[in-house]
Amino acid sequence: MNPAPPVIAFDNLTKRYRNFEAVHDLTLHIQAGSICGLLGPNGAGKTTAMKTLLGFLRPTSGSTAVDGAPVTPQTFEYLSYVPETDALFGELTVAQHVELNRLSQPRHDESRAQELLGVFGLDRRKRVRKLSKGQKTALALVLALASKPRVLVLDEPSSGLDPVFQRVVLDLLIDAASEGGTVLFSSHQVGQVERAADHVAIMRGGRLLVYSDVDSLKGQEKIIEATFPSSIPDLNGALRVDAVRRIDHAGNMVRISVRKDDGEIAQRLAPYNPTSIRVVDRNLEDIFLDVVSEKN
Amino acid sequence: MAAIFTVDPRSGVPIYLQLIEQVKRGVALGTLAAGEQLPTVKALALELTVNPNTVARAYRDLERDGVIETSPGRGSFVRNNGTASSELRTDVAEPALDNAIRTAKGLGLDSNEVRRLFARALSRWYPGEES
Repeated sequence: MNPAPPVIAFDNLTKRYRNFEAVHDLTLHIQAGSICGLLGPNGAGKTTAMKTLLGFLRPTSGSTAVDGAPVTPQTFEYLSYVPETDALFGELTVAQHVELNRLSQPRHDESRAQELLGVFGLDRRKRVRKLSKGQKTALALVLALASKPRVLVLDEPSSGLDPVFQRVVLDLLIDAASEGGTVLFSSHQVGQVERAADHVAIMRGGRLLVYSDVDSLKGQEKIIEATFPSSIPDLNGALRVDAVRRIDHAGNMVRISVRKDDGEIAQRLAPYNPTSIRVVDRNLEDIFLDVVSEKN
Repeated sequence: MAAIFTVDPRSGVPIYLQLIEQVKRGVALGTLAAGEQLPTVKALALELTVNPNTVARAYRDLERDGVIETSPGRGSFVRNNGTASSELRTDVAEPALDNAIRTAKGLGLDSNEVRRLFARALSRWYPGEES
């Protein structure tokens, strides 16, 4: 029996604009029921990757697929996309947008749309140009979710929203995933990914640096703090291993960021007679900052 | 009244481990009674705003460890197992003691010094008992 193809797939995707490479050799597979959070500094290639997946941009090389096949207009019956900058009409009201969605989206569910308008407290009579940034984001989400899509691709889905509505958005993603839906969302807020996502992808400069199960990543990444009696001995021999990400010195203490460590580093330090060794857990923000600031 | 869990997603401790620890602690302390129903994966994920697969993973591990049982269509329940509670107490307590000893060792104390501190702490918490 063949396993089901990943719901979202990027295979060796490269996207070049003239002489600028926005995405380089990206391979990323997202399985059904998974929420993948995409993190990366501005210009990392997140938006380009999403737009290529959706067929809005043509790959320079490599390929993308949804349910094992390239995206076609029919894909959008069960896939919703919320772009980073809204695609709304300033002169139309909230209610008119919902009406447009009903006419254009075969799976539009009017009662779900009305329910979601209520959740975000949107005024149906208001013209979009009078809405705040957060309200526009909320309306885009209402339209995206009104068809109860099985696949969601969201570029910064909570920008401009206050913390209460940010939490509502995360709950909507969690609700979708617990019904078997698949979600790819980008964010600048590591804490959102840490809560809602089971997988995290970290990009920088068009390259995928990390793709991992969030819990496993947190379980593996540690900081080892070793203190020495007077000055720090030359540890270069002991620390020249793949697991070491970064080494910082502070007085007579050395802080070593490690990945996939099972106590090896601490053992390697023991012969140097440190006065103390402490292993510190790291949250996703620590790991993210480490990964994106790492030298190539 | 359903059990109330809390998680700290920003902690370096993976969320599924935080959930496992809390369920075990609840069972050990009797706040989760044998036979009691746990929230569904979806309900707990939404209540805590955490990923449903993370909750499912915690439930799977708890089932493997014999703490809960899941019957399809009915939900997950705390197992009716008389000896489990005392075993779970040591399960929950042991990592806490491990942590304390790791800290002491990390500070460079040798085992005799740790033993002396341990005896002192014991007499504070169990006054009147000979150690």
